[in-house]
Amino acid sequence: MKSRMTVILLAVMAFYALAAPGVAGEKKYKIATLPKLDGIAWSHRMREGVDQYAKETGHDLWLLGPSKSDAAEQVQIVESLIAQGVDAICYVPFSVEASEPALKKAREADIVIIGHEATTLENVDVIIEPFDNHAYGANVMKHLAANMGGKGKYICTVGSLTSKSHNEWIDGAVAYQEANFPEMSQAAPRLETYDDAATDYAKLKEALVAFPDLKGICGAPDPTSVGAGLAIEERGLEGKVFFSGTGLPSTAGQYIKSGAIQTIHFWDPKIAAIAMNKLAIMILDGKRDDIKAGLNLGIDGFTDLKQDPNKPNLFYGQGWVDVDKSNVDEYPF
Amino acid sequence: MTKYLQKTEFHVFIILVAFSLVCGSMNAGFWSALNIFSVLKSSSTVGIMALGMLMVIVAGGIDISIPAVAVFAVYSTAKYLVSINYSGGILLPFAMATVIGGLLGCVNAFFISKYRLAPLIVTLGMASACTGFLRTFIGSSVIANLPQSMFDFSRATILSVTQADGSVARLSVAVVVLAVVTALVWFLMNYTTPGRGLYALGNDPVAAERISFNNKRIQFMAYGLSGALAGITGVVHVSLIRQANIRDLEGVEMEVIAAVVLGGTAITGGRGTVVGTLLGVLLLTVIKSSLILMDIPSSWQKVVIGGVPILATVTTSLRKKSF
Repeated sequence: MKSRMTVILLAVMAFYALAAPGVAGEKKYKIATLPKLDGIAWSHRMREGVDQYAKETGHDLWLLGPSKSDAAEQVQIVESLIAQGVDAICYVPFSVEASEPALKKAREADIVIIGHEATTLENVDVIIEPFDNHAYGANVMKHLAANMGGKGKYICTVGSLTSKSHNEWIDGAVAYQEANFPEMSQAAPRLETYDDAATDYAKLKEALVAFPDLKGICGAPDPTSVGAGLAIEERGLEGKVFFSGTGLPSTAGQYIKSGAIQTIHFWDPKIAAIAMNKLAIMILDGKRDDIKAGLNLGIDGFTDLKQDPNKPNLFYGQGWVDVDKSNVDEYPF
Repeated sequence: MTKYLQKTEFHVFIILVAFSLVCGSMNAGFWSALNIFSVLKSSSTVGIMALGMLMVIVAGGIDISIPAVAVFAVYSTAKYLVSINYSGGILLPFAMATVIGGLLGCVNAFFISKYRLAPLIVTLGMASACTGFLRTFIGSSVIANLPQSMFDFSRATILSVTQADGSVARLSVAVVVLAVVTALVWFLMNYTTPGRGLYALGNDPVAAERISFNNKRIQFMAYGLSGALAGITGVVHVSLIRQANIRDLEGVEMEVIAAVVLGGTAITGGRGTVVGTLLGVLLLTVIKSSLILMDIPSSWQKVVIGGVPILATVTTSLRKKSF
């Protein structure tokens, strides 16, 4: 008898403990964040953002993603989220085309969809991009030119000559150089490196032989930061050849610290996750009309949203992060 | 003299020299110690794999699982060594990856010899299974905090030359690994009974059995060694690039097969040499790493990479007809 009382007492206590935040808040939303792939550093960092924002707001926010890079598996998760009856999905699609039917179904079920890294998505409430591609490229070039002293030859890399984002970044970088640094020029047309560090290394090593007066490397794909670091360090060209481009501290950090490369740039998935969830909650709270050009989300890089002139539900932040020797240890991914 | 003229190796050698002369005349940097050392270093990974592939193809098979086996062996080795904070020498990583690769190769051999399955199907399945297992159970994120000895390996050099402009060109220790593997495979294939068995099996399995070769054992040797060499390649590759990424080496099997065939190995088995294979590897690497030197834009590079081997193979087959 006594033990049964204890159980009941514990159950009641547990109930209140669990229900407490719900009682305190007004309405609790259930929002899932769905990255392209779970289990990698990128999505771990994104999860940090989701967890942090859940703690701040008291809403029921979580992250889950497919275990492999596979459009079908990701779409399946969307389907199961519809069945669960979530309020919103913050979605980073692996394949835009493959996702549309499931997203259409979700929106018919009154689920709010926020897109990320997917400017062409159709069945979506709001798309939030970390930045405008050309502006990002210009920012990378600004850093490279500063290190090169505004003079000399540089070379650019892209993962593939058909990659839209990479080529737009480099377009932006080259346009910025042409407008501001007339004494700089490209040593050769952009190199294609297949998003593979070994290829980046091999091609840059060769470029350093082919163009002995090369002073700068501007990298669009993230592995270029590793390939460039390796090639520069091996030749002992620190301080003679400079690198700025996309890169992650976990892999390129050692070359930043050794001085082989100068700056790496990326966007912080943690911040992006918070921005997406914030927009979802705004729409759920009926504040859809407040989402317009100039909106300040109150988080780094998303303080002055730009609206796409051709697609009114597509917004850009200035959410890139510039990392050099001084802050390389602040980003553990 | 005619004896040399008839050899495929000789033709590949001539094409290699001709290409180098053209390239050298377009950019003087081609003949610098720096560039030559760099080509040798780049050849080492494909070279080690190609020697494994040579044994398999000579024995009448094919092994397209090598990139997946290499990545599986080195990634799981690296992951384990990082988890125990390994701080010892480079021998243990090499040994671990070689054993893992060798075992996976033996699994290939088991299905191919016991159930007489097509090597293409078995090794294709092995490649897929390795990659899937790796992603699901071992990990998928890039490992950049490798054991110190692997970083040291990437910096280790055996020869340094001061160039005209004062900069120093260094020859990577990876070339030594290739040299040792070359010597062992060359000895095995030319001076041992199991090695000659590879040729016998590739020429005619029935005849090989009649002259008392154990075909199953020879297949285990070929695929096992191919897997082991893939494991060694994995450690060399990861050490040189200083990070273990499960997406690395993807598609390298085509380059390896191309190099082996380019070197005069019959894709149907029974014929092929170590020297020819190394020349094939060297020719492909020189082509691949001279396109920027020759000022060929990226969009055209693939055309050249595909075109030169076809040309080389055509000249070889024309020569055969004329004799």
